[in-house]
Amino acid sequence: MSEFARQQNDFQRGILSGDDSILAEILDSPKEKREVLYGVYRHAYGSRLVDALRNDHGLLHSYLGDEMFDAMGYAYVAAKPSHHPNLRWFSQGLPDFLKTTEPYSDHPVVADLAALEKALNDAFDAADAPVLELADMAGFAPELWNTLKFQPHSTSCRLDVSTNAAAVWLALKNDETPPDAVALDEPGRLLIWRQDVTPMFRELTAEEAMMWDEAANGIAFGVLCSMLATYDDPDGAAARGAGYLHGWVTSGLLTGVSSGD
Amino acid sequence: MNVASKLPSSAASLADREALSAKPPFLGFGLGLRAQHYDEILNGHPPIDWFEVISENYMLPGGQPLRVLERIRERYPVVMHGVSLSIASTAPPDFDYLQGLRDLAKRVEPKWVSDHLCWTGVHGKNLHDLLPIPYTREALDHVVSRVQLVQDYLGRAIVLENVSTYVQFSNCEMTEWEFLTELSRRSGCWLLFDVNNVYVSAFNHGYDPHSFLEGIPADRVVQFHMAGHSHMGTHIIDTHDHPVCDDVWGLYAAALKRFGRVSTMIERDDNIPPLDELVAEVNRMREMAAKILPRHAG
Repeated sequence: MSEFARQQNDFQRGILSGDDSILAEILDSPKEKREVLYGVYRHAYGSRLVDALRNDHGLLHSYLGDEMFDAMGYAYVAAKPSHHPNLRWFSQGLPDFLKTTEPYSDHPVVADLAALEKALNDAFDAADAPVLELADMAGFAPELWNTLKFQPHSTSCRLDVSTNAAAVWLALKNDETPPDAVALDEPGRLLIWRQDVTPMFRELTAEEAMMWDEAANGIAFGVLCSMLATYDDPDGAAARGAGYLHGWVTSGLLTGVSSGD
Repeated sequence: MNVASKLPSSAASLADREALSAKPPFLGFGLGLRAQHYDEILNGHPPIDWFEVISENYMLPGGQPLRVLERIRERYPVVMHGVSLSIASTAPPDFDYLQGLRDLAKRVEPKWVSDHLCWTGVHGKNLHDLLPIPYTREALDHVVSRVQLVQDYLGRAIVLENVSTYVQFSNCEMTEWEFLTELSRRSGCWLLFDVNNVYVSAFNHGYDPHSFLEGIPADRVVQFHMAGHSHMGTHIIDTHDHPVCDDVWGLYAAALKRFGRVSTMIERDDNIPPLDELVAEVNRMREMAAKILPRHAG
């Protein structure tokens, strides 16, 4: 290791772990001691990363308040140092961290709320792609419909939550008092995507969520309708499937459709 | 990753190098583009000659930021300014980052690409800060070789900025301006003279900022940054969250006399004010330049 590399190693270790050995290689300034001057870098490290979390998770910040959010943020910074050159991606691991780390894991609404914010952030700058229009669907002959396969839009994402995080998110977004956190009897099934430049989400029924997930897996419309028939009235399955599909197309949730195997 | 496959492959690229390293043009008086001002800029025609964009803010898959940038560059010259090149790191270069930077430059066609003389981390970690280096011959040799590699990879000469520093290393063998001068001379990179950073570092380390100014070769400087800072009494922190202070305006006047006509911009990163306030600072830069350099005004 070169002297320059050794010095960078020690400088970084001093910031990340509090080791003071680098101070022996730093000068006092005419007006200030080296500990204080080096401390500028130590302080900036944590505060910059917590600022990034606050920027990406504004509603989680509102929900937890300054003190609790900062404690959570510094714990995340200590546990998950950044490995990416772009600060945009630093917060990507936050939902998993909150899900698996006490005391946050004792309050699953916190991880759910973070996961919803992350999904919306990801939709905001996800890759652009064409949006399927109703006119694109009109070109297929009726006998081909059972073979149609759908390609979800590049900005779309599914998220299951175990709590009423969606209601909490909505209240915080509207500057209202959020409802008490509650565990749901069955998962909340959320679909997140970007319409033009605006990230959105909505809740799906179990039936629509199943159809979306299976459509995203490449299952053809005819099979999807057979699957829907196991959820509710079999005679209305095709109509329900067509209704969901119409909603997806008009919301800009699909980017492509193709027929055949 | 195969580095060789990412380097310019033909002898022609060497012939192109001279053209690619041509001195960047004078763009006038600009501003750092910030999301808070997107609508106002796109819906109006603020009197700003050019915009500098933070490269990383647009190194994204898609969405509104890139769409806005496309529209901005249709109307204004754009310069790309990065914070994560980590040109002075002793860790291997991040070639995925460089590829992203090259892809963005291909899309944006900036007038130039800049970053900072600093490092941001080693051992795979990124501290997201502009960390200082010792001004030693060993460090200089290392940074020269890294700049040459990056320039070959990007196919263009880069522009490097002096950062604000809070500490000085005891093993320095030269001044910061001597280091920058040698770096520019040996690697062919251009220099971004951050007037505020010179002021901050000079205060923090107890030297005369005019020594820095006089020590930099005038023909290598292609851009000025102007910004604000936070004074802590015994030291100054480069927060970029205040208007430019009187002392920095004074140093700007001296920089104009020393370097002549240089593309100049206001860089505000935090506590972002309404666009009008920043336009007023841009106008003040323009007026001072017109007074001090009357033959080049406009």
